[in-house]
Amino acid sequence: MLRIAHLYADEMNIYGDRGNILTLQKRAEWRGIRVEVRAIGRGPAPDLSDIDLIFWGGGQDRDQELVFTDAAAHKVDAIREAIHGGAVVLAVCGGYQLLGEYYVTADGKKLPGLALADLHTVPGARRNIGNIVIETRDLGLQPPTLVGFENHSGKTYLGAGLRPLGQVIRGAGNNGEDATEGVAAGNVFGTYLHGSLLPKNPHFADFLLLRALQRRGPVRFEALDDTMEMAAHNAVRERIGARR
Amino acid sequence: MLARFGARAMAALWAGKLTAGLSRGLRRGGGTTLPGDVSRWVDPRILTTLTRSLDQGAVVVTGTNGKTTTAALLRHILEAQGRRTVANQAGANLIFGVTAALVNRASWSGGLDANVGLFEIDEASLPRLVQEIAPGTIIVTNLFRDQLDRYGELETTAAHIRRALTQGPEGVTAVLNADDPMVAALGDGLPRVVYAGLDDPSLLQPELSHGADAKFCPRCGSAFVFEGVYFGHVGHYHCPRGDFARPSPDVRASSVAIEGMERMRLRISDGAHETGFDVPLSGLYNAYNVVLAVAAAQAMGVSIASSAAALRNFTPAFGRMEHTVVDGRPAVLLLAKNPTGFNEVLRTAIQFGKARSFLIALNDRIADGRDVSWIWDVDFEQLKDVAGHIVVSGDRALDLRVRLKYAEIPDDRIEVVSDWRLALRRASEATADGQTIFVLPTYTAMLELRAVLTRDGALQPYWKGRPVDAKP
Repeated sequence: MLRIAHLYADEMNIYGDRGNILTLQKRAEWRGIRVEVRAIGRGPAPDLSDIDLIFWGGGQDRDQELVFTDAAAHKVDAIREAIHGGAVVLAVCGGYQLLGEYYVTADGKKLPGLALADLHTVPGARRNIGNIVIETRDLGLQPPTLVGFENHSGKTYLGAGLRPLGQVIRGAGNNGEDATEGVAAGNVFGTYLHGSLLPKNPHFADFLLLRALQRRGPVRFEALDDTMEMAAHNAVRERIGARR
Repeated sequence: MLARFGARAMAALWAGKLTAGLSRGLRRGGGTTLPGDVSRWVDPRILTTLTRSLDQGAVVVTGTNGKTTTAALLRHILEAQGRRTVANQAGANLIFGVTAALVNRASWSGGLDANVGLFEIDEASLPRLVQEIAPGTIIVTNLFRDQLDRYGELETTAAHIRRALTQGPEGVTAVLNADDPMVAALGDGLPRVVYAGLDDPSLLQPELSHGADAKFCPRCGSAFVFEGVYFGHVGHYHCPRGDFARPSPDVRASSVAIEGMERMRLRISDGAHETGFDVPLSGLYNAYNVVLAVAAAQAMGVSIASSAAALRNFTPAFGRMEHTVVDGRPAVLLLAKNPTGFNEVLRTAIQFGKARSFLIALNDRIADGRDVSWIWDVDFEQLKDVAGHIVVSGDRALDLRVRLKYAEIPDDRIEVVSDWRLALRRASEATADGQTIFVLPTYTAMLELRAVLTRDGALQPYWKGRPVDAKP
């Protein structure tokens, strides 16, 4: 049994993030693992202590503000406890920005984040839009690349000693300056990659699933046939000349 | 009618017309936007000068889905009244496309044998167009997530439209979809608003679909209560705190009966009169296009009875429910370019077209949106039990293939074919006798598929299709 919490499914869902949930769900089910996806909206947080994997995605600027306020008021303690208990977190795009210490909106408003990772986001002069390929280092992913689409004007900076999810091969990444993309802080993962992220990166989807399942002890986790997914993965790499 | 033309305007007109001639001569397409670019470069005020001679003014149509069809429906109604219209080509909906339409239509001396302009316009270009041509009527169809890489977010789009409406010319009438909360909210504080909507509770669905966006009250942020939706977030709604509710439509369809892919019957009322409509279109989204066009026509002095008479012999705009033949099999082209549009096209094809055979083509060029994330918000799960065969094609066919895998459609029913001609042939071969091929392309994929079908002689080139404005 795998329990997934989809946070702010109504507010933060504009970049096809349903693809991430669907991928996690199907890849577990195809292995005979039952899955429960719990959609959690605004308001007082339910208990998250039995949750194995928490996901949240990107929203529109206005909804983002609603969510920051709600998360700080109602969710931060429950999420912290879940992480402490071994839950895995994946936050994409606007959700990634919410992971950090704070986020400064385009009109200069400073919104405090969940402070689950030592990072912060400030507005950038231009919007980074396009296909992106990054290379992960220590996650043991085979191939090490992740592909996706980025669309953000916020520039995110990681605190000293914090590891990015990967190095940018093509695209802008966290801030377009230091060639880092995303964050990998223990079981907490954040990234600007959507597209959707997980369908074209099945190896990363399995990595997250395995981490989430293992907190309950060893699991049998068979390999699936990923020919189609990897064909789509490789097509993006070829398309933007990131094939070596 | 001759506009007062300065030397600069005349130079701009000639430059544009020569470009159009050249473009057609070189077979570079129909010159649907380039003449506009050239004319505007010579005289940035050329559009204002040309539209000044339209004695019944101009109508602009904006919104995410339905612009082309709504404009085509209204044009059909107005022409049946003997009004002479000038319109931009389907899809050429930036300011250059509007300029090109007028440049093409004007005579070499600047005369325009039309008295009303009908222009579909991209949401972001609306404020500038309104400033330049001062339209009498602005129609807003709906607002859905669409090409986030190009337009930015929905709120930004709504802000563009709000700016155009509030800074619009005096006396402008806004024709708004009452059932789309974000569109209805645009009517706040405007002096002249006509709301149009559907009032057929038998067609309401209890659940919001995945492509739904406007879920929160624009005033207080509370989640709307939906009594039901017709599709996406379009339906009957109110804010639980009483801050905002669906406006009662001035022009409403009290019943919609869809009969196959070829026609639908509606009863439309303006409060005083109710009339039966019989329109050669299918799908609930087209019921909205009809009721919006009828509401706009009424605001322009055309009775709903006259609209009903005119629309009996309407012909769909190109690529929007366009019927053709592919390698001996009947086929229908259904442009599908964003989650809600795609969901509705799929639902219509399955429910009313008994669709079994599909060709789905996904491109990621600028006009399609370079980000293909949106396919994950399309409910392809609808196809699981009905699709006998699906050909997948386009620049991002492999992404689409993965999407269909996660919709758990069996592998043996899906084929990836990248060559357009071959894709059409495979779709045709896999279609049984008496069945129709349902071709669902994104925008540029539709242009390319149409180009192949045009070479085959199955279709007319797009610049010769209806509506025709370019003079030979």
